[in-house]
Amino acid sequence: MDGGKFFGAFRASSGITDAVVLNHVPVGCNWGAAIFKTTSNQFDMRHACTVMHEREIVFGGEDALREALIRADELYDTPLLLVIAGDAPSIIGDDVEAVVNSVTLDAEVMWMEAAGFKGSMMDGYEEALLRLAGLMKESETIQGSVNLIGFSPDDFKVDADVKEIKQLLLDAGVEVNTVISKCSLEEFRRAPAAELNVVLGQGTLLAEQMKKELGLPYLKMDYPYGLDGTAHFVNAISEELGTGHEPEFDIEPFKRVYLYLHELYGTPVSVIGDFHAEAMANFLDGELGFNVEVSARNEDDYFAFEEEVRNSNTTILFGSSFEQNIAETLNIPLIRFCYPVFDNVCVYDDAPYAGFRGAVCLTEAIINTVMSYGGMNK
Amino acid sequence: MKKLQQIAFYGKGGIGKSTIVSNLAAAYAESGLKVMIVGCDPKADCTRNLRGDADIPTVLDVLREKGGAKMELTEIIGGKKIDVDEIVYKGYNGVLCVEAGGPEPAVGCAGRGIIVAVDLLKSLGVYDRDLDLIIYDVLGDVVCGGFGMPLRKGLADNVFIVTSADYLAIYAANNICKGIERHASRKGSPLGGIVYNVRGAIDDPELVGEFAGSVGSKVVGAIPNDSLISESEIYGKTVIEYMPDSIIADRFRELAGAILEDGSGVTPQPLSKEKLAELARRIREKTREAADKSR
Ligand SMILES: Nc1ncnc2c1ncn2[C@@H]1O[C@H](COP(=O)(O)OP(=O)(O)OP(=O)(O)O)[C@@H](O)[C@H]1O
Ligand SMILES: [Mg+2]
Repeated sequence: MDGGKFFGAFRASSGITDAVVLNHVPVGCNWGAAIFKTTSNQFDMRHACTVMHEREIVFGGEDALREALIRADELYDTPLLLVIAGDAPSIIGDDVEAVVNSVTLDAEVMWMEAAGFKGSMMDGYEEALLRLAGLMKESETIQGSVNLIGFSPDDFKVDADVKEIKQLLLDAGVEVNTVISKCSLEEFRRAPAAELNVVLGQGTLLAEQMKKELGLPYLKMDYPYGLDGTAHFVNAISEELGTGHEPEFDIEPFKRVYLYLHELYGTPVSVIGDFHAEAMANFLDGELGFNVEVSARNEDDYFAFEEEVRNSNTTILFGSSFEQNIAETLNIPLIRFCYPVFDNVCVYDDAPYAGFRGAVCLTEAIINTVMSYGGMNK
Repeated sequence: MKKLQQIAFYGKGGIGKSTIVSNLAAAYAESGLKVMIVGCDPKADCTRNLRGDADIPTVLDVLREKGGAKMELTEIIGGKKIDVDEIVYKGYNGVLCVEAGGPEPAVGCAGRGIIVAVDLLKSLGVYDRDLDLIIYDVLGDVVCGGFGMPLRKGLADNVFIVTSADYLAIYAANNICKGIERHASRKGSPLGGIVYNVRGAIDDPELVGEFAGSVGSKVVGAIPNDSLISESEIYGKTVIEYMPDSIIADRFRELAGAILEDGSGVTPQPLSKEKLAELARRIREKTREAADKSR
């Protein structure tokens, strides 16, 4: 299951935390994009919508867009309005650019077309970042600093994960310049100041472009789950930057949790998700000693995934809120780690899944889920 | 109550659909039938000649004005905000005129507009009125699903295609046959026949007859080229109103009779590319001959 281009563009754009996204779509798309985000963190409500109805489909949505732009500009105190034109205006051919150019607003306006049927969620994310790159400003390089690319503001555990990763890198003498896309407009503008781009799963096109235009190199890394994953992540970056730091890792807490894992050795599990899935599978298999039976990406055939899981010995499922149904039917627990998570909250930013502390939290979450589920009932 | 009959007219842009439809409606009204024309064309010019060229608000105009912020059909009908009389207008001799209307040129989605307008007509109960005949006049080509609406199950009982002997008119007619074929195979409207309107470079009934035969249909009637048609148009009238005793008025009456006479239609078999190319070659030859002669 893949949300399509519109969702990707929305997620990339709403990652600029002081910008306001104006979705030019019918109410359903807007609701979908919002609900996957606000349920896990209700504090972030920065988006508006033209709310296209039949009237806009028949007569065109340009007037509605113009009005929405003017109203959003009045309503929000924001430096930047990001207009995303979704499926309906793309089908009927609204001239979004002309509408945007026809109004003079306090906020800067940037627009992009992202019809869901024109590509995957990842395509939407990649293209939106390329578009947003137009906001960047020439900046003096900050030695030993990196940008992290690939995040979205509605990723599960994003606040905690980013905090953890930043701290780990800092301990290794590396400063995080900009987190894309989970940063202020100001931070986004000064992304060119980094010495290195670190791409986690998506955003490669942006990194590629920045390399070409600014000579800024990039490194593609797996999402840092587990001890090995994290150590590799931090070492690779500090090596690339030549910081000379030999970071010391405190794995004491992990050892204590680890004791509980003996009982779970060889547990058959299945994993599905976006780019996080592979890194998660590696952690479960390589570090926790689980048997990963089925590992799939969102863009794969979902029915085939369901079938494979059904025919496997899977006793724990790792995925998003979407997997609740399969888990229920198979009477197995579901660990949510991947977008979209709309039936769990993740406001507290001190219980990550990434990094060393993340490895502890994640392992604890797994153990707790299994124990409270009535043990291994399968 | 007699059964309501519904027929639809399609054909290349400018081929004479609206001229034919309004004259037919006038002829039926004359013979005592209760007729309604539903113009499915955003430029809303289908019924002008029945109303002395006067403007009427289109269905979508009314919806746009009354629909508040949303224009959702259910809401509007629920609140009974639209009255049938606001979209159905009496024209010459009691012919009822409806124009679906649509967006301004070059914006929005006219096809969706047709769907919305037809849905509204249904929910307003226009179809339950005491009518004998509804005629749909549909713009140019069947460019998208919206303009195919009248072809769907439950609407037109028969579809008629207007064509001249010109290649591009026949090409368009063949294309329309593809649309009809698709819907006819799903219990939609069959092809009732071809109406030959003498326009363009050559007058060749045989060619048009041959085309009709090869798609599995027939020519139901022909309208000659006549300057009275454009003359009456100046006054916003049909020829039946403007010159009721003219020969051309009679031709429309004849066509009107022929169209209702034989109710059974066929699922057309559109010509293949090759066959169409062969027909094109012969039309070109004849056009050249005609041009040579007139020189
Ligand atoms: N048989 C005819 N003899 C003379 N003039 C004709 C004849 N048929 C149509 N016309 C003229 O051709 C013009 C176009 O006709 P009409 O508007 O009926 O075409 P249409 O198929 O409805 O066009 P559209 O696709 O734009 O709706 C009109 O000015 C009309 O008077
Ligand atoms: Mg017309």
